[in-house]
Amino acid sequence: MTSTLEFDERLIDTLRSITTIGIHNAVRGFSGLLGHKLEFGEPNVKLVPLTQIPMIVGGPENEAVGIYLRAEGDFHAQIMMILPLEKAYQLVDLLMEQPEGSTTFLGSLERSALGEVGNMTGTFFMNAVANALGREIRPTPPAVMVDMVGAILDIIVATTGGVSDHVLLIQTCFKDGSRSVLTDFWVIPDAQSLQALRQVEKK
Amino acid sequence: MKEPISVNLGEVAVSSDPADVLVAYGLGSCLGITMVDKQRHICGLLHAVLPHRLNGADPYCAKYVDSGIEGLLNAMLNAGADRRNLIVRIAGGANMLTTAGLSKTFDVGTRNIESARETLRRLNLPLHAEETGGHSGRTVRVYVASGRVTVRVVGGVEKDL
Repeated sequence: MTSTLEFDERLIDTLRSITTIGIHNAVRGFSGLLGHKLEFGEPNVKLVPLTQIPMIVGGPENEAVGIYLRAEGDFHAQIMMILPLEKAYQLVDLLMEQPEGSTTFLGSLERSALGEVGNMTGTFFMNAVANALGREIRPTPPAVMVDMVGAILDIIVATTGGVSDHVLLIQTCFKDGSRSVLTDFWVIPDAQSLQALRQVEKK
Repeated sequence: MKEPISVNLGEVAVSSDPADVLVAYGLGSCLGITMVDKQRHICGLLHAVLPHRLNGADPYCAKYVDSGIEGLLNAMLNAGADRRNLIVRIAGGANMLTTAGLSKTFDVGTRNIESARETLRRLNLPLHAEETGGHSGRTVRVYVASGRVTVRVVGGVEKDL
C-alpha cells in the first residue's frame, strides 16, 4: 500500500462539524427508541496516535467492551466504540432505566443493547457523512466483543497497520437527567474516503 | 520490584537482566514470539502486528511477523545468545471478529500464525510450543530470571507455555 492517510486541522474541522450534525440527529432516534429523552454532549473530536489508545482506555490488559461496525458502499470506514467494562455496565443501566449498579455482567440482552448503541451512534455518523458527501453508505451489523483492550484494538491495528498511525477519536457523553456516561469512538476512514471528505471541505 | 517491560505493538525487547519481566499485553490478532536461551539467561519478546513485511520496510522491522522474527533472532544473537539453545514459542493470532461477514476479511490472526511457522522453518528454528488462534485476547509474559513464558486470557490465570 502506497497511499497514506493524512489528517490535518482542516479535515478534522470538517469531521467535527459532520459529527456534531450527526449526533444531533442521533439524539432524536435514540430518544424515540427509549421512549424518553436522552441527550448527548457536544462531541470532542481529535486525532490520536493508534499506539496511545490502550492508555486512554485504561491499559491494554484492561477488560473492555468493543462495538465494531464498518461502513460500506461509496464510503469505507471502520467505527469502533470502546468502553471500559464498568462504563458499559453503567450505559446498560442508563439505557434500560435501571438503578446504577444493577448490571454486573453482559448477557445476550445487555450485549444486544450495547450493539444497538453502536448501531445507532455509528449510523448517525455515517448518515451525516453520507449527506455531506451525497453518497450512499451502508453500515454492517455491529459486532460486540468483551476482551482485553489491546486485543479489541488489534482489529483496527491489523487493518490500518502500515497505512495510518493516527485515528480519529470522537468523545461524547450520553446523558439522562443527572446521569451521564462518557464514551469514546474511534473512526478510521480509508484513504479514498478521506479524499472524498476533502471534497466536502472545499465546498 | 522492577516494573515489567511493556513490549508494545511493533516492538521487540531482549534482556539478560534477571530482574526483568517482558510483557506483551492484550494480543488479539497480533502475535507474540518469545525466544529464550536458558543457558545464557537471555530472553526476547516480539509483538508483531501483520504477517509480511512491506517492500521498503526495515529488514528487521518488528511490526511484521517475518521481519520481526529475523530482528528478534538478530538481537538475541547480538546479546550473546547461542542459536542452538533457543527455545521459541508463539502466542496470539486470534480472530477477534466472529460476526458473519466480517470475520473472513480480517483474519489477520491466522495469517500471522502461518507467517511465523513459515519464517521459523526457513530460519531452521524449531517451534517449541504455541497457544494460538481462537477468539480471545492473550497477555504473554517472559520472566528473564527463570526463562519461564506464560499466557493469560481475560478473566483467567497465568499458565505456563
